[in-house]
Formats: sequence, C-alpha cells, structure tokens
Amino acid sequence: MSNSLNPAQHEAALQLRMAAEHGQPCAPVRSLLGELDVDAAYAVQTLNVQHALTQGRRLVGSKIGLTSRAVQQQLGVAQPDFGRLFADMAIADGEEIAIQRLLQPKVEAEIALVLGRDLPHEKHTLADLIGAVDYLLPAIEVVDSRIAGWDIRISDTIADNASSGLFVLGSRPVLLREVDVVGCGMVLERKGEPESVGGGAACLGNPLLAACWLADTLARRGDALKAGDIVLTGALGPMVPVRAGDVFTARIQGLGQVSARFATTQGEAA
Amino acid sequence: MSLLIQEMALQLDIATQCHEATPQLSAQQPFDLATAYRIQQAGIRLRQQRGERVVGLKLGFTSRAKMIQMGVDALIWGELTDAMQLADGGTLDLSRLIHPRVEPEIAFITACDIDRPLSLAEAGLALAGVAPALEIIDSRYRDFRFSLQDVVADNCSSARYVIGPLCAPQAALDNLGVVLRFDGRPVQIGSSAAILGQPLRALAEISRLLHQQERVLPAGSLILAGAATAAEALRPGLHVSVEVAGLGSCAFTTGEPT
Repeated sequence: MSNSLNPAQHEAALQLRMAAEHGQPCAPVRSLLGELDVDAAYAVQTLNVQHALTQGRRLVGSKIGLTSRAVQQQLGVAQPDFGRLFADMAIADGEEIAIQRLLQPKVEAEIALVLGRDLPHEKHTLADLIGAVDYLLPAIEVVDSRIAGWDIRISDTIADNASSGLFVLGSRPVLLREVDVVGCGMVLERKGEPESVGGGAACLGNPLLAACWLADTLARRGDALKAGDIVLTGALGPMVPVRAGDVFTARIQGLGQVSARFATTQGEAA
Repeated sequence: MSLLIQEMALQLDIATQCHEATPQLSAQQPFDLATAYRIQQAGIRLRQQRGERVVGLKLGFTSRAKMIQMGVDALIWGELTDAMQLADGGTLDLSRLIHPRVEPEIAFITACDIDRPLSLAEAGLALAGVAPALEIIDSRYRDFRFSLQDVVADNCSSARYVIGPLCAPQAALDNLGVVLRFDGRPVQIGSSAAILGQPLRALAEISRLLHQQERVLPAGSLILAGAATAAEALRPGLHVSVEVAGLGSCAFTTGEPT
C-alpha cells in the first residue's frame, strides 16, 4: 500500500489510535475522510496496522464485518468490510476479559476458520476455500468502536479496523465436512437467556462466501491470507451490548459452544 | 356473562369468515384471561358445529422478548383444527384471509396422552415425531393490534398451518438452524433456540398449563411449539419455504391476485 496519505487521513489515524490508547472514544472521522470513501478509510486502517506492527504486535488473521443485510442497509452499503486481528486480541474460552480494555463493547457469535493453506489468488472458488480450511471453531467476537456512541458510517468503521475489539475462540476444532455452515442455528445466551438468535445463512447467505470475498479482496491488495490465519467470518445474529460481569455463551449447531466472561470490576480482572 | 362470551366469539368468527378486521374486543368490554379462553372455546365450538375437528394446539409467546413485550410470564395457546391445515406444497388462498403473516415453527406429534405436568426429560419421551412447519397467522383485529386477552380470545391469531415430513424425535432439538425463504431468498434466519431456549421446554410448559385446566391432550395430537423467528407479511405470488437444519423443509405458495 502506498504511504501517500493526506494530512486529514493522518489525523484520522491518530485520533483513532489515541482513542484506543487512552480508552476515550473520539468523534467520527468521516468528516476527515468522506462518508463513503472506502479507499481512504482502508488507507487509515493500514496506517494504524503498520503502526501496531512497529509496536511488536503480531498479525494472526482477519475479520469480516458488515455481513448482515440489515447492517449493510443501515450503513447504506452493499458489501462487507474487513479488519485485522492481532495475537493480543485473542482470548481463550473461559478466560476472563478485563472490560477496561474496551470502550463500548458488544458481542456477536461467529464461525471462525483457521487456514491450512495460503489463498493467494485474486479470485478463489469455493473449492479453493474449502481445500484451504484446516478447521473451524465457534467464536464470540467482542466488537468495539473507538467512535463515540457507535455513531459510525462505512468510512468510520473501516478506518477503525472494522470496529474490532477482542475475539474468543472455542477449544475444540471441528472439520468443515462435519458442519452445515449455512443451515446451522446459533444462539447467544446471557445467564441462560437467549439474547441473540440466528444462523449460518445470516452471514452473507453463507459464511464461506464471506471468506471467499475476504480472500479475493486481500489478495488483490497484495496482502493475501496465509496458512495459519484465523478468519472471523461475520455475525450469525444481532449484536448484544456488554455490561461488566456478563457471561455469554454462544452455541452453534454442529460446532459446539464458546463462552466470553467479562470481569465484574477492574479489580477482579487481574 | 356467558351471553357476552357467545357474542364476542361470534364477532371474531364473523371477522374470520368474512375476512374483515374487527375492533379489539377488550376495547368494548374489558375481560380477564380466563374469560379470554372461554371466548376462544366458544369460537372453537362454532367451528366444530361446522364439522371441523380439533387436532392439536398452537403455542404462542414462546420467546422471552415477546413475553416481555406483552407483559406476561407464561405462554398462551390456541386450538388447531383439521380445516386449518394446508398441504405441504399447497396453495394458500389469500383472498380468504385479512392480513396474513407467516412464521417458521417446529411441530410435534405426541406419542401418548399428556395428562400431567412433564419435566423437560419426559417431554422428549412424549413425542412420536418432529417436523418443520409453517404457521400462517391472521389476527382478526385491525392492524394486528391486540391485548393479551384479545389475542387469546382470537385463538392466538391462528389461521392455517403447513406441516413438513415427520422425523423421528431427535436427541437434540435445542439449536436447529431455521431459514424462512420467500421465492428462494432468506427473509428470516433463526434457530429453534428462540422457542423458550429449547422447543421441548414449550411442551413441558403446556403440559403444566393443561394440567391446571384439568385437560388431557390425546396421543397423536399436533403441537406447534412456537415461532423460531419474527413473522413476515404475505403477499400474492410468493413461494414460501422453511428449512430446519436436520429436520427438512416444507413450503406453500400464495395464489396470484385475481
């Protein structure tokens, strides 16, 4: 990617970085980027990803966002977006999450793919993708926005690393052939109450289609998905806001379950 | 009071038969939930007098969100008759309905008489089969607006139902993916978990409520356990299908406008 960013893009990148570092949300950055300027927004995202790499953070994969028709309509877009996942964003099933790491978190249940092969092409077939998937895991993505009040348009969320926060992966790998990724049901429960219900088809009609889109898009940008990468394919149902002390369990038919446990107070999180 | 119950049942029956919406009953004369069920029963007797046969029950308010919205803490039920059944793959005549909507459901066929409260474990054993289903609801009230008592009196908005192929009762019914499609495109995506977290819980719950009413549900009864997603309004010329992961699918079409 070229580094010929204009001052407004640099300013947007800095505002988002400061918001994350200080735990203080910032104003929307779309006024600096243009509300619908997707390229400018990805340039900002890339700048902050490069900054993170210089800080020693390790890239471990990507997430796909805006995979539900309802969210796309809400933001007035017709395609998904992506953000990058770093190793320090990964939480193990059952590990307590220090809520002060997050600004205004929400959770959503997803299917995570872990790749066993590179996906270098500008156009992948579903067979390429199926062949490249090593295993699946149930996942809870903790999304977060550095933009105050989640007041986002498409350029805000893309610049903000697709509103990524943390992600919790289940512990039991499942083979793709064992799961109906389109027909599977999903329920995300808080204290045993279903808070969000959905299924595989809610993610662009097919989570593998979303993954294909990501593979093609990243390859075209010269940053192709590689063996070992984690791919969060997109929400299977509506997002649920998080409160301190919440414990969420996501169950995905054929994939098992995974829990996200948030600390009750700052003290307990250590 | 019983005369009033007859009158109110008749008002709803006329609305059904003339497919014309009627004002809310509770707005004319407030009544309690027990009375609402008596109005429902009076309406069913009118159907029976026309030769219809009760074949089972439909359960309503089986999602927590809906219970909270309606301010109740228990599910409600209505009666299903043979005349309400639409064959799998059949055509629904929209001209005989007011403002129909469709919901994807899970259907149960009972294996034994249900004459006492069942635990969740027992509920699984009380089933002869499970099937994907579509329920067509059609409130007889204007704008689909009603109180709890109104909707119970109106037989829980029941209008038609389609039952798919019967499957052997499975070990796990708690999280089956449900996709409702119009003309092949997904319009609602959900899970059987939307039904009280697990559809068998709806069966356990209704067994408890029936026991309170000293009522026995005979073996072989049909139970529509509740909606797995929000309802979608129907329009002419649609192919409507539901696919329940692991159970299969069923479908109907809505007739073309005449």
